[in-house]
Amino acid sequence: MKRVLSIFFLVLNLTVWFVQSPVEAYVGLCCAHCGGNMPMNIPGGGIPETHEFRVKVGQNYMRMGPFRSGTTDVSTTSLLGVPTQDGKFVVAPSEMRMWMTMASVAYSFTDRFALMAMTGYRYNEMDMEFNALANAATGSNGFTMKSDGMSDFKVMGKYRLFADDDLAPTNQLSAIVGLSFPTGEVDSRFRNNPIPGVNDTLQPFRMQQGSGTYDPILGLTFQTAKDPYWFGLNAIYTGRWMDNEQGYHQGQEAKVDAYAMYQFHPKALLEIQLNFHHEGQYSNEPDAQRFEGAGHVGFNPAAPFTSPLFNPDFYGGTKLNITGGFQYQPFDLQIVELLVSTPIVQNLHGPQLSEDWRIMFNYYVEIPTKKSRRYVGTKAPKELGF
Amino acid sequence: MKTPWVSRLSIIFIAIYIVLIPSFIWAQSEFSANLGIVEPRTIKQAPDFALQTLDGQTVKLSDFKGKPVLLNFWATWCEACKKEFPAMQRLYSHLKDDGFEIIAVSVDRRNRDRIEEFVKAYGIDFPILLDPQQKARRDYFIRGLPTSYLIDSAGDLRGFISGARAWDHIASRKALLNIFKNVRLSKVTNPAIK
Repeated sequence: MKRVLSIFFLVLNLTVWFVQSPVEAYVGLCCAHCGGNMPMNIPGGGIPETHEFRVKVGQNYMRMGPFRSGTTDVSTTSLLGVPTQDGKFVVAPSEMRMWMTMASVAYSFTDRFALMAMTGYRYNEMDMEFNALANAATGSNGFTMKSDGMSDFKVMGKYRLFADDDLAPTNQLSAIVGLSFPTGEVDSRFRNNPIPGVNDTLQPFRMQQGSGTYDPILGLTFQTAKDPYWFGLNAIYTGRWMDNEQGYHQGQEAKVDAYAMYQFHPKALLEIQLNFHHEGQYSNEPDAQRFEGAGHVGFNPAAPFTSPLFNPDFYGGTKLNITGGFQYQPFDLQIVELLVSTPIVQNLHGPQLSEDWRIMFNYYVEIPTKKSRRYVGTKAPKELGF
Repeated sequence: MKTPWVSRLSIIFIAIYIVLIPSFIWAQSEFSANLGIVEPRTIKQAPDFALQTLDGQTVKLSDFKGKPVLLNFWATWCEACKKEFPAMQRLYSHLKDDGFEIIAVSVDRRNRDRIEEFVKAYGIDFPILLDPQQKARRDYFIRGLPTSYLIDSAGDLRGFISGARAWDHIASRKALLNIFKNVRLSKVTNPAIK
């Protein structure tokens, strides 16, 4: 936890320090070609002004629990028992906590085209409870499973298909095409499991940091503005078209985010979002489970799972979150955002841990380059003799 | 307890940040004091327009012929625009008796009440014209706000200025005088006026 926060503050400081020198170039020019206000937590939602960088760092915290199957909550204790019985396991989690530090850089090459790159560092903790047998064997009620590491690296291009105005568009439609690179680990192993022989075996799916595959990203974003209100709809599909080095792939993923923002002050706004997320089940067990028996009783691949976390069918589902928060501009070219989100509907392939709530803090800074309008101003029109 | 290296680095960056902020603010104010006027290659007439004032009167640009005009495009959502208004008002207060005119065209599509509030709060007494249909804005090829044009007493375009400026700074007033060479703007050269 301390390590994650330290990394977040270091990245934040590096960002602020690095960008200060270009700020003196700011000529005091407003241009809203990018469409104005937009949420920072929706990938691809916002882009910088032309010939400007936008550097963003964010810190997320998410709590997951209790278990859920379909739309019904399931208690952890009801899942513990003799694993030969249907739906019973040696060990099951009661809660998961996830900290994620994210960093992204975007640059707009033209009024229509921007390129974005993003990655993150994740730290996961999952409180695990033992059945009576494991309790007796280890002398403890459970343990906290941990993993951490870099997540996948994504590159996305955003191309504006339509805008109704070249100064401050009130309606605009953009297409997103990108690729997620498998920089996140899919081979994270147990380090502190008190059950003999389990350490150094593969951790379950959700403790891994990435998908392990090159995943195409396709999306459409629509923004509309009626000052002081801003609205938008983002739809993003992440394809899982190939198997990773462990011989499986994550489920297909679709996200639709709708948002409304109200700018009540020149430097502050309130926002509300509805975030729809659908994810398919994992395609298969990892090779380490199928061939080495990780996650199975007695390390026998044919034996039942020791925990629901190892079953690839117990992942994915559909959920709808409601998110609310605010953005504030402490200085020119810099914005901070605080958001809190909780699901209002969750229909999960389970039993699996449901999402409880999450909190997100984001900071971004815009960095005009020497080619930016905000560095040199706009060009005087030759049509008027300049 | 040993401080982690990341925390130590963070403290160093915060310290540098605090030290550097004043110098950046200073650099920015100097930059905006320089008017950075782009002069025309070919002298052309300023496109005429007819727009409504806040009290519903229709005003044409050509009504101001015979006076040098600073034509400014702005919007209530543009913070940089609002920041330069007090300086513009001070400039106007000192030069209006010499026949100098400022016209500020708001390109807000709505929010008339917000414009009225702003004008009242800042004590603006030069004409504010409304361009909700964006016609004048398009005729003047506005691609960022604020943008200002300098128009001489014959109605010809003499300068283009992109971005906010410290209009009442002595350097700005000298730059204006240089553009409006043929106009008597005695107070422009008086550095005592601020």
